[in-house]
Amino acid sequence: MGDLSWKDFLSQAKQFLEISQQLGESWMLVEKDSDEPNTFLKFSQKIKDNSGEFVNVEYHVVYSISYQVPMMFFQAHRSDGSLLDLEATWKLFMPETKANDLYQILTQMDHPVLFRPFMALHPCRTAEVLKQFEQPSSNQVLTFISLYGPHIKLNLQNAYGLSKDYT
Amino acid sequence: MSADKEMILQFAPWESFVSPTFWHKLAELKLDHDRLSDSKRSIAGHYTNRNASGCLMEVDYTAYNRTAQPPKFSHSASGTIYNKNTIEEFKALDKLQLLADEGKELLANMSSGEVLRDPSLLTRFFVLSFADLKCHSYYYWFAFPCPLTPTLKLQGAVQRLRDLPYSQNYIEALKLLPAESQNFFILYANEEHKVFEARSLSCLNEKDVEHYYFAFADPSEYDHPAWLMRNYVAFLLQQCPSFVGKSVKFLGLRYNQQMQMDDSRVWQVIQTEACDLSQPGELKFVGWELNKNGKMGPRMVCMRDSMDPAKLAENSVNLNLKLMKWRLVPDLNLEVISQTKCLLFGAGTLGCAVARNLLSWGFKHITLLDNGKVGFSNPVRQNLYTHADAVAGNRMKATTAAQRLREINPSAVTAGHVLEIPMPGHTIGESLLAQTEDHLQVIQQQVQDHDAIFLLTDSRESRWLPTLLGAANQKIVINAALGFDSYLVMRHGSTREEAGDGGQQIDGLKCINGDQLGCYFCNDVTAPGNSLKDRTLDQQCTVTRPGVSNIAASYAVELLVALLQHPRKELAPAYYAQSGRGKSEEAAGKVPEGLLGILPHSIRGMLCNYENIVPATQKFAQCIACSAPVLNAYKKEGNAFLLKTFETAKYLEDLTGISEFKRLNSEIIDFDDDEFDMSEEDED
Repeated sequence: MGDLSWKDFLSQAKQFLEISQQLGESWMLVEKDSDEPNTFLKFSQKIKDNSGEFVNVEYHVVYSISYQVPMMFFQAHRSDGSLLDLEATWKLFMPETKANDLYQILTQMDHPVLFRPFMALHPCRTAEVLKQFEQPSSNQVLTFISLYGPHIKLNLQNAYGLSKDYT
Repeated sequence: MSADKEMILQFAPWESFVSPTFWHKLAELKLDHDRLSDSKRSIAGHYTNRNASGCLMEVDYTAYNRTAQPPKFSHSASGTIYNKNTIEEFKALDKLQLLADEGKELLANMSSGEVLRDPSLLTRFFVLSFADLKCHSYYYWFAFPCPLTPTLKLQGAVQRLRDLPYSQNYIEALKLLPAESQNFFILYANEEHKVFEARSLSCLNEKDVEHYYFAFADPSEYDHPAWLMRNYVAFLLQQCPSFVGKSVKFLGLRYNQQMQMDDSRVWQVIQTEACDLSQPGELKFVGWELNKNGKMGPRMVCMRDSMDPAKLAENSVNLNLKLMKWRLVPDLNLEVISQTKCLLFGAGTLGCAVARNLLSWGFKHITLLDNGKVGFSNPVRQNLYTHADAVAGNRMKATTAAQRLREINPSAVTAGHVLEIPMPGHTIGESLLAQTEDHLQVIQQQVQDHDAIFLLTDSRESRWLPTLLGAANQKIVINAALGFDSYLVMRHGSTREEAGDGGQQIDGLKCINGDQLGCYFCNDVTAPGNSLKDRTLDQQCTVTRPGVSNIAASYAVELLVALLQHPRKELAPAYYAQSGRGKSEEAAGKVPEGLLGILPHSIRGMLCNYENIVPATQKFAQCIACSAPVLNAYKKEGNAFLLKTFETAKYLEDLTGISEFKRLNSEIIDFDDDEFDMSEEDED
């Protein structure tokens, strides 16, 4: 079982938020309302694109009802506010991968809470992947972010893994 | 940088960094609140000195809030937006004057002591903008006004906080200062440099300058301090004129990701010339941001992709189609689909279903021709209409369908024309002649303007004119007709002249090249007359199993798409297994496939046994719709020829020589059309 119930997602997301606050990080919990799955974790950071320009990437860790796993949604924009489209997002994060393979990994989907097109890492294998980490991990949201984040330049400090609340 | 030489202190300029939500909110405010007013509006920006990169001044939707609430680890900057109503006003505005006006307000804040109360006024900025809300384009120019004061000289090397003696004491002192006061403040050190205190700017005492580090949150990542220190210095010198000619210490506070401030910088500076800020008339101001090209000028951003719902829909639809390409059919040509213009004769059950299928495939240009109004029985089968259309009583199918298609996909280019399709043997009275000629004109024009023509009308004879026009204009023609539980979908033989290889001959298969295939009328031995004439009502109305029209409509569109993917398009050959050889099933397996499978001439199917067959037939040299005599007569005589055929169908039979045929024993001609009892009705 790599599946995660909504209740567990919510409590683990809150636990993740606490750890991040202790570490002085700027993760936030966005709560649209109390319905499933309308609460998600949010984080933004600036990174440099291939031409050296800053882009802001906003990451949302959202619960997927159909896959019963956390899902990584994200969107990047340039300094003038324009969004990076799918091709530009591929180029930024996965310049080496072929387009035919990319859509299976990084694609555009409707955000389940905001109902807008967002970039997403495909959730079809998340349950399988999380399952392998079930034993050492009591917080699957944290495991998920630390496994999937690095593909899109979201690297958690090691301190997350050392947090007392978590082990 | 050598310690014994005095260098001019330089500053890292601000870079504006705009969130899409800033534009979203601006558009909303403009539309719902400001409307035609272009009075300035207060906004707030924010910048961070934690793990800072660049020297970014950020604005997002919260900029317009009454009270600024910067995100965690960020500081607020006070700004103004001047959003102009037209691009002309945006361009014509005197930029130097605006900068000077803003700069004078900054000076006023300094001299009134307002800055002491709210130091964020030192990070004053403004945006000049024009929002083209129709095109979702935003023209904007940020400025960070600053008086042009005498240069500051750097004394000694730039130091890092961690290299100072007792740096731990500084850090401890800072921890006692509330986060919101950490933008500009004073760090006080006693004689022995052992006791440190962080004090707010309002505690400033001119005499203690030797004990002060003028500290500020520094968003710069470079050895230079951020631009905001310029205003800080100007303010301090204006507040304490005795500082002129004295060495003053500044501390640019910089945190890393782990909230350590070791990398904070200390600059010891001196300004030797006095500068009277109380005489702003004499002063010059600087601060317009350079654009992306490093030039003095505004920037423009097009936000259509994320703000225009039609564009969002278009991109999402395209993505769905692209997934098909990426996943299953890498060579799928979506471009040709989006560029092919489709003309639909008939906006009934078949017309609606075909149009929707076209939208699904990403066709953009759809035109419908129909003379009917939406009736009460229509909406349940004709999927572009609703009950309300029937209640309204006067909604024409062609125009209503065109409108619905745009409601479904706003980026579709659709049109509907209400008109009668003139038919052979349907005599046109004197009074209707002018109208018929008008309609003919429109129909001919529409055929010329489109690439693919769908015949989806409810009678056999109404298909004659479009068949002829399609052939005369070398268009792709797809025909769909329904029986009670059977359907026929076919492509007409092409008249397009293009050199190319014929189809490959394969054992057991008959191959007919695309230009040799028959049309709907090629298998007929009579000219179309009035097929509705002697029928009872139930024969004239739609008497088909409802699924038949959806199946036929889907096949019709899929057949067009498959043809468009073939290198020779509608000239692609059709194959069929010759019957009577006992090997037809085996042969059928050998039919060459295009990108999306085989390209049959026709698909005939029945619901009663859920079977399809895909026969192919030759062009008929005496066809009353597509044969050379007919096409030549039309070419030569134009409308005069058409009007003759409308007068009497017999004219066509004589022209093509079918009349002769009919006198012969019909046994010698084996037409297989009857096999399926194809009634041509598909709708009322």
